[in-house]
Amino acid sequence: MATMQNSYPSEYFRAIHPLEDAPEQKCETEGLGPIAMTPSARISLIVLRGYLILMTLMLVWHVLDMAGIFHKLN
Amino acid sequence: MNPINSNVLVMDPKEKPGIVVRRRWQQSLLTFLMVFGPGLIVMEADNDAGAVSTYVQAGGQYGLHLLWILLLLLPITYFVQEMVARLGIATGKGHAAMIYERFGKWWGRFSLFDLLVVNFLTLITEFAAISLALSAMGVSPWIAVPVSAVGLILLVITGSYLRWERTVIVLCLLDLTWFVLTALVHPKWTAVAYNTFVPNLPPGRITSDLIFLIIAIVGTTIAPWQLFFQQSCVAEKRLRFADLKWARLDTLIGATFTVLVAGAMMIIGNYGYQHGIPFRDPAQMAEALAPIAGHFVRNGILLLMVNAAVLGTTAISLASAWAYGEVRGWPHSLHKKIWEAPGFYSVYIGCVGLAAGIVLIPHMPLQLVIVSVQVFAGLILPSAIIFLQLLLNDRALLGDQWVNRPWNNWINWTIIVVLFALSLLLATQVMLPELFN
Repeated sequence: MATMQNSYPSEYFRAIHPLEDAPEQKCETEGLGPIAMTPSARISLIVLRGYLILMTLMLVWHVLDMAGIFHKLN
Repeated sequence: MNPINSNVLVMDPKEKPGIVVRRRWQQSLLTFLMVFGPGLIVMEADNDAGAVSTYVQAGGQYGLHLLWILLLLLPITYFVQEMVARLGIATGKGHAAMIYERFGKWWGRFSLFDLLVVNFLTLITEFAAISLALSAMGVSPWIAVPVSAVGLILLVITGSYLRWERTVIVLCLLDLTWFVLTALVHPKWTAVAYNTFVPNLPPGRITSDLIFLIIAIVGTTIAPWQLFFQQSCVAEKRLRFADLKWARLDTLIGATFTVLVAGAMMIIGNYGYQHGIPFRDPAQMAEALAPIAGHFVRNGILLLMVNAAVLGTTAISLASAWAYGEVRGWPHSLHKKIWEAPGFYSVYIGCVGLAAGIVLIPHMPLQLVIVSVQVFAGLILPSAIIFLQLLLNDRALLGDQWVNRPWNNWINWTIIVVLFALSLLLATQVMLPELFN
């Protein structure tokens, strides 16, 4: 008696490494321009900018002071 | 979108790249293993030399009382880094590039400048730790530091991202040794469990030292370079939309592992505390522990300190090189050979080489560098997270599918407010210490 064979194709699953896979379409920034922000978010960022500049300058001053630069100048 | 990796095939399995399996769970497991890496690396590299010092010091000064802070930081680090991974997968670009493109040149350059400065200062502390730990093992800094720098450069210039990633994952897994060391010092596990799950403070009044240490623990566990690093790493690895769930799992595993390792460091510091051993740094503690805990514990702590510094150095230098390359529009990829991306590799080699060179200068004011790193990192972290938060609400860029959900926003704004308050407190404490006396 002939052996009965499954005539359906076998089902496989494929795991592909991201680096070997075809590139996919990503979210593009082209043509979008700057990010849309509410007036309050814009003002908050301006305040943040001031805060960061002030704190950075204070930090630089403090580090120079700790390093004894001002004492040497005096 | 191209969800190829979830395809069910009814064709010749040898036609396409990848590994063919017969079961869906096998496919899921393999895909996870292929995606796994950036989340673990970004988290574990954050347990760098500075972190070892901070956690061990926390255990050494306050015993197990601050363990609960680590548990609190676990979801915070996960939520922040999940956003980074999502943004990296959705855009295929690094964080510096996104700030530059969406917020303009001023913010782009300012963020980049801050990142490069704080990263460079951190690198100096990493090499200082290598010098300190290997000196304790009898290796001269004049050999230890240059050899480490050359090794760190060789690690990235092979032109293969995967080779770098696999090597670094092995280094991350070496940190499992912290658990062995913890077991060897026989902590009271009931006390560990109590202090992990029940928030409490050390007996006595709240001092400025305690506040400083708590802020340092927070600042050590969440660092600005991590945002830039993981997003660039995800873009470098070309993770797909379908990989997001695995990238999230990778990040969660990384965050959990890192917090557990940090806890182990605190427990070892507590061992020194219980035996009344005073120490200024982990290398000194390791030396002092040798007579009571044995030479395995001593050498283990010293070598793990070197491993932490090596992990931190490679990740931080790469974060700088990727960010600089993105903003300058240079080729910036570990897939490229050194002559194909000279600017990118120059930044990496320059950072590593210069930091190593500075550490070898006699009488370097390292304490000054450490304080500057902590304050500068504390200053820029909340603002970096604000940009991340704004980018994750950018519907024009990400569409409805990838933007933050309202609950994401609530959690993240809470994190930002807390970090801002801590950052302000830290800056005030360092710059105007008389206010706290």
